[in-house]
Amino acid sequence: MTPAIRIERAHKRYGGATGFVAVSDVALTVNRGSIHGLLGPNGAGKTTTLKMLLGLVRPSGGTFEILGEPAGPAVRARVGFLPEQPYFSPLLTAAEVLMLHGRLSGMAPSEVESRTGELLARVGLEGREKTRLAKYSRGMLQRVGIAQALIAAPEVVVLDEPASGLDPVGQRDVRNLMMALAEEGTTVLLSSHQLSEVEAICDEVTILNHGRVAAEGSIDDLLNVAGRTSVRARGTAPALPAEVQSLMEDVAVSGGVWVFSVPDSAVRATVDILDDNGWAIESLVPKRQSLEDYFGRMLEEPSRMADAGVVS
Amino acid sequence: MNRVAAVARAVVADAIRRRIVWVVVLFSLVLAAMIPMLPSYGVGVADAVYREIALAMTYVAAMVVTLVLSVSRIPVEVERRTLYSVLARDVRRWEYVLGTWLGITLTLAAVTAAFGGIIFAVGWAVYGAPMWMLWQGVLAIWMEAGIIAALCVAVSTITLPVIVAVAALAFLFIAHVRADLLGGPENPLWYAYPSLDAFNIIAPVSHGSGVSLLYLATMVLAFVGWVGALVFLGALGFSRRDL
Repeated sequence: MTPAIRIERAHKRYGGATGFVAVSDVALTVNRGSIHGLLGPNGAGKTTTLKMLLGLVRPSGGTFEILGEPAGPAVRARVGFLPEQPYFSPLLTAAEVLMLHGRLSGMAPSEVESRTGELLARVGLEGREKTRLAKYSRGMLQRVGIAQALIAAPEVVVLDEPASGLDPVGQRDVRNLMMALAEEGTTVLLSSHQLSEVEAICDEVTILNHGRVAAEGSIDDLLNVAGRTSVRARGTAPALPAEVQSLMEDVAVSGGVWVFSVPDSAVRATVDILDDNGWAIESLVPKRQSLEDYFGRMLEEPSRMADAGVVS
Repeated sequence: MNRVAAVARAVVADAIRRRIVWVVVLFSLVLAAMIPMLPSYGVGVADAVYREIALAMTYVAAMVVTLVLSVSRIPVEVERRTLYSVLARDVRRWEYVLGTWLGITLTLAAVTAAFGGIIFAVGWAVYGAPMWMLWQGVLAIWMEAGIIAALCVAVSTITLPVIVAVAALAFLFIAHVRADLLGGPENPLWYAYPSLDAFNIIAPVSHGSGVSLLYLATMVLAFVGWVGALVFLGALGFSRRDL
């Protein structure tokens, strides 16, 4: 099956031959039905890449495909897009915004009307169809933006910072919505600064930096630390046994619970030692760094990121 | 054409709710209703003077509303990223430009029709006879306003609202001084000059019997030609623009 989105050698230069290169040789493949995260610091080229894909910016080079077709206007009828910090005329109502976007996607007015209530309820705006957007909060506008992206039941949804402006409950709702979309078979391409959100829901990520792909792959591949296992143990002693202390790294202690990592080859021995000394083993999992740590390390030390998955 | 109509419908819904449009409309209508009270009417020409002033006022108000609606429409939508979600769909740039112009021009049709209705009603009530010719003048004003709206939309696809407003006012001035600059049709530049004088029929409507159907048809052709060229240029400029 062809991927939902395929970008090859994307290139964007602003200002002629000697101008600023915003995106250089970017490749991105998003599989159907997956949630794919697009990460990067400000100015990394994320939004420019999305804009080229959606026809808002003319690429200087590269190939852009959506659902196996060149990313032209026709196939974009099957795509929903939420721009970063969406803004709609404050003089329109949510129903009018949805009617506009539904009609632009080729839906009949009656079809849009029947879907409007259901969709606004899904994004937490039930009963607000007739309220002018001037009376909406920032978070409510964000929800309208999500609703317009979904109005035509798109096969692919591109979301640029969907949690922006939302409170924690709203962020959770959006996260649940994205997972529900993926379960329904919709492909989600998510550009976000919310690393915890990306880590929680994305199957794969692509990280851009300075207009290039800095890393790509599954979250597990990127974040698992090869060769080490994370141990979580509980005990009453003030310190871990000396034999374990010589093996462990990245130690954190809280309320009698110790979390640390040991080499995979030392897991069996560590468990035996802890067991012999009356410690309870709560978990043993492959050591995994947080996306925040990975991201920060990559941006600070790009030359040292020659691990698996990191693209030079 | 459904997409053009959808954009136009949204533009109309937005435009008719702008308070400033209705302030201009109401202010002008109050003034129009007061025209018969002017003290300088001569006997026998009072109705002609009424028609002239009423149409002149309609013209000014229509142009103000045109500028209000069209100068900043596209630049603001670009700046606020409103149109990202529109153009990321199955919508061509030319459809967006055409739909925007159409929405503004339909709103202008409603506004000028409201003017026409009021000045027609006041004229009938005060002078005792329906002034049907006023509608020719209103139609011409609406078409000229539609051309100015097309110019504003075209220029605004590539530049800032202030520059659009200056360009529109400069064009309005230039388009009405052909006779002063070139003299008459004997001048070789006469027919190449960008003139909107064809739409200025206030004098024949006020003091004569209006214009012929053939002249009206010519006016409609000129309107279509101007709008077609300007919207084409706007769409061309916009299609090459990175958002």
